[in-house]
Amino acid sequence: MDSLPHLLSGFAAAMSPANLAYAFAGCLFGTLIGVLPGVGPAAGTAILIPLTFKLDPTGAIIMLAAIYYGAMYGGTITSVLINVPGEAASVITCIDGHQMAKQGRGGTALGIAAIGSFIGGMAATIALVLVAPPLAKFALSFGPPEFFALMLLGLCLVSGLAGRSLSAALMMTMLGLLVSMIGIDPVRGAPRFAFGIADLYDGLGIVPVVMGLYGIAEILITAERPVQEIIRTKFSGLLPSRDEWRRSWGAIARGTGIGFFLGLIPGIGSIVPTFMAYIAEKRISKTPERFGKGAIEGVAAPETANNAYANAAMVPFLTLGIPSSPTIAVLMGAFIINGLTPGPFLFQERPDLVWTVIASFFIGNLLLLILNLPLVGLWAKILHVPFKYLAVGILLLCIMGAYSLQQSAFDVWVMIGCGVVGYLLRKLDLPLAPLVLGLILGPALEKSMRTSLEMSAGDFSIFATRPLCLGLLIAAGVVVVGAAFKLAPRQLRDSEAQV
Amino acid sequence: MIKLFVRSVATTIAVLALAGGTAFAQSFPTRPVELMVAYPAGGSTDIGARIVASIAEKILGQPMVVVNKGGAGGQVGWTDMARRKPDGYFIGYINLPATNTVVLDPERKANFDVDDFVPIINQVLDPGVIWVRADSPYKTLGDLIDAAKKSPGTIRAATTGILSDDHLAILMVEEAVPGATFRIVHLVGGAAQFKEIMGGNVDVAFDNVGSIVPRVRSGEVRAIVVLDHERSKFLPDVPTTKELGYPTVISSSTRGIAGPKGIPAAVVKQLADVLQKAMQDPDHLQKMDTAGLAVRIMTGDEYARYYKETHDKAKKYTEWAKKMEQK
Amino acid sequence: MTAVSGSHRIVERIVLGCLGVLFAAMAATAYGYGLKDRLGPGSGFFPFWLGVIGTVLTVSLLVLSLRGGSIGEGGEAAWPNRAGAVRAVTLFAGLVAAALVFEPLGFRLTAFAFTALLLVALGVRRPVVIALFALISGFGLFHVFYYWLKVPLPFGALGF
Repeated sequence: MDSLPHLLSGFAAAMSPANLAYAFAGCLFGTLIGVLPGVGPAAGTAILIPLTFKLDPTGAIIMLAAIYYGAMYGGTITSVLINVPGEAASVITCIDGHQMAKQGRGGTALGIAAIGSFIGGMAATIALVLVAPPLAKFALSFGPPEFFALMLLGLCLVSGLAGRSLSAALMMTMLGLLVSMIGIDPVRGAPRFAFGIADLYDGLGIVPVVMGLYGIAEILITAERPVQEIIRTKFSGLLPSRDEWRRSWGAIARGTGIGFFLGLIPGIGSIVPTFMAYIAEKRISKTPERFGKGAIEGVAAPETANNAYANAAMVPFLTLGIPSSPTIAVLMGAFIINGLTPGPFLFQERPDLVWTVIASFFIGNLLLLILNLPLVGLWAKILHVPFKYLAVGILLLCIMGAYSLQQSAFDVWVMIGCGVVGYLLRKLDLPLAPLVLGLILGPALEKSMRTSLEMSAGDFSIFATRPLCLGLLIAAGVVVVGAAFKLAPRQLRDSEAQV
Repeated sequence: MIKLFVRSVATTIAVLALAGGTAFAQSFPTRPVELMVAYPAGGSTDIGARIVASIAEKILGQPMVVVNKGGAGGQVGWTDMARRKPDGYFIGYINLPATNTVVLDPERKANFDVDDFVPIINQVLDPGVIWVRADSPYKTLGDLIDAAKKSPGTIRAATTGILSDDHLAILMVEEAVPGATFRIVHLVGGAAQFKEIMGGNVDVAFDNVGSIVPRVRSGEVRAIVVLDHERSKFLPDVPTTKELGYPTVISSSTRGIAGPKGIPAAVVKQLADVLQKAMQDPDHLQKMDTAGLAVRIMTGDEYARYYKETHDKAKKYTEWAKKMEQK
Repeated sequence: MTAVSGSHRIVERIVLGCLGVLFAAMAATAYGYGLKDRLGPGSGFFPFWLGVIGTVLTVSLLVLSLRGGSIGEGGEAAWPNRAGAVRAVTLFAGLVAAALVFEPLGFRLTAFAFTALLLVALGVRRPVVIALFALISGFGLFHVFYYWLKVPLPFGALGF
């Protein structure tokens, strides 16, 4: 383990006052960016690129990376408190997190999210230090066919998101998949379902859609109620009860594993690990009916997975120079502008830089915890603001946030439209999460299948001849068969109960 | 209720009046200028944009804000720019030949045409390059072509997008060497291309010099040939297609700034002057060098001519590409 | 389980019906994009089959609903009383209005008007509070977003 001396000197450098300040500033700014709906980590990171011209490369990168994982946490705050996903990855946290907030346990939800994020981030960074190169090789073995199989497996797990009616969940998934196909297709590069509207050529953006489905819909539904404060019960203590702690540990452990594993695979996107962690947790739980009503594991698992993912995504980035997500692509741009190329040779040419940055991940995760945990109580107080002011403020921020994505009024309209849709769907008790899952996975599924077929010149056996791909496909099959067995009796039970 | 509203407005006006009025606009520019990039942040175009914007805004006297409007291979951004008010406050990058192919491909149903833009100044001319992983069996262009002729349609060649300059470059090679055909795999963006090459899922990549200069320097990849008339100063040891005997295989991605048609000529000239000064600034040149982006400034008639030439060339290969798909 | 009102059932059936039509329409459009391609599934392959499956599922849910069952548990299904509905509709109308005017009118003015009008509509009665809040949201937020975060927001005809 010759990394250890490097790491130690990296720590020494990372703890210089300047670098500490950059890390802190990044965490703070990142959290604020995450809190503002719509303005995502990619935008936040991009904004600061000009700043990197004035700072030294190490400091600049430390700060940008801190913004990245800081923003992950910021998104949680709004998801829990006002049901507005600060960025797409926080969607799943809305489900149980906001319920907890409505029960007066918002502080607890934020607290467990901070702790889980810390543990997930730390674990991922430790693993990064210990086993980076072999892990990176693993990441490379995920080609388009494996990617396709993984996404398919993810899709098959949607039954884990179903409430009472599996058919309804499936229908919503189909809708999500179908809507995700609006836009340029991966086959001919021609627009589908766009009907000549230029704004549709890139499809409906996922961020305005979830902001509408969750955030706007929530405001509309809350507006109807006579009591004009979002929480009704007294504001309970910050710390989780012993029972909740017990349940959270397992969730955190599993979330770390899932987030880390998926973070190694470039191109997955931050939403997928959160969904998978949530579904896995619900499946494993002995009392799955608590999910959706304020189960703490429903917050702990995705939040941990989120940060584990963000830190793990640094593995393919630093060791191979492959950016896993748009935000990391921006980070890479920052590297390049400063004359550095992430990859194995950067480890050799500039170990001082690389290990300082890695050491600052540790420090950054700690800073994030220190920064956010005390503020949790303060954030939760937001819910005490009278609804009138809160609603108007939130709506305005959402409009700005949606517009700021691409300077397009169209995104604002999409958000508003999805607000109506979300409202209706909630009234009818049709599940939203499968819709979002379909929306995210659709393009990935289609594009990776298409690329696989281009690689094999149309030969479908490519999916069967690659062992990893085949294994994942079999796993998907197993999941589907298992769900089907549960399907028939459940539907019968449903219709009986109606009578 | 109206009374209440009026009272609130009055209060506000009073506050604003106390805070002071705004100065009146005299000449261009009086507020920040938006510089659009039709691709997500972090890409080559974006990097070039940010470098030039940070210098140009000092000369201009107003901030120059880089705005990313990615999607549909750039189509979303260009469609938007074509519809903007031609007052000079919104300009953006056009990427040739990508902008051309969007217009030329009937299936893309572009809502704009080449004449909807007024070219201002070109920044980068990034020549095409064919590269492979360092341990690949293909060491020269000859190796690659022989292999392609021997087993046509099996060598997996990756592009960074359907009808990108990379895609057209592959067709140019196939045209110049009858019998050599590739299995074309369209990926989305340089990062995906890099990943799949390193992972061994594709065999050879057609891309642009700027994206891989750092990787060639570090030894991870090998550049086989540059698709230009003269050698790239970043890759001096790599031969060009011209010197190897394929003078028709010339391809590059040019990134320049344009505005919606109708911007007053004086404003266009002012912007061109400012941007030219920024691009000639040693700081700009040095940063672009470090990033591996070859600066080639073109303005006025020269740029307009280049625009047209690229369009005509792209037309030929786009039509060929579409015909191939029908087969 | 809680009983679900008749009007709820009607809305449920209408929504399911619309969804069914949407699925079928998309499947039909997808068919036009071509199901096969020289490499395998064409542009329209996946959307077509998704549309078909979606239609089938929607129809089965619709049948279930018509036979007296209901998908939902009725927890949030209660339709709002008049006051609640008015509030929700006002907020929605405000959103739509803001989205319509904020590009031509400019962000600051729109935000200001949006905040002020909605606060008044929701029952706030103190002009100073309204003005303050509207100023902060309109001009203050704009300042943060535009100058600090460098997020371009529209200026509008009046330069605001």
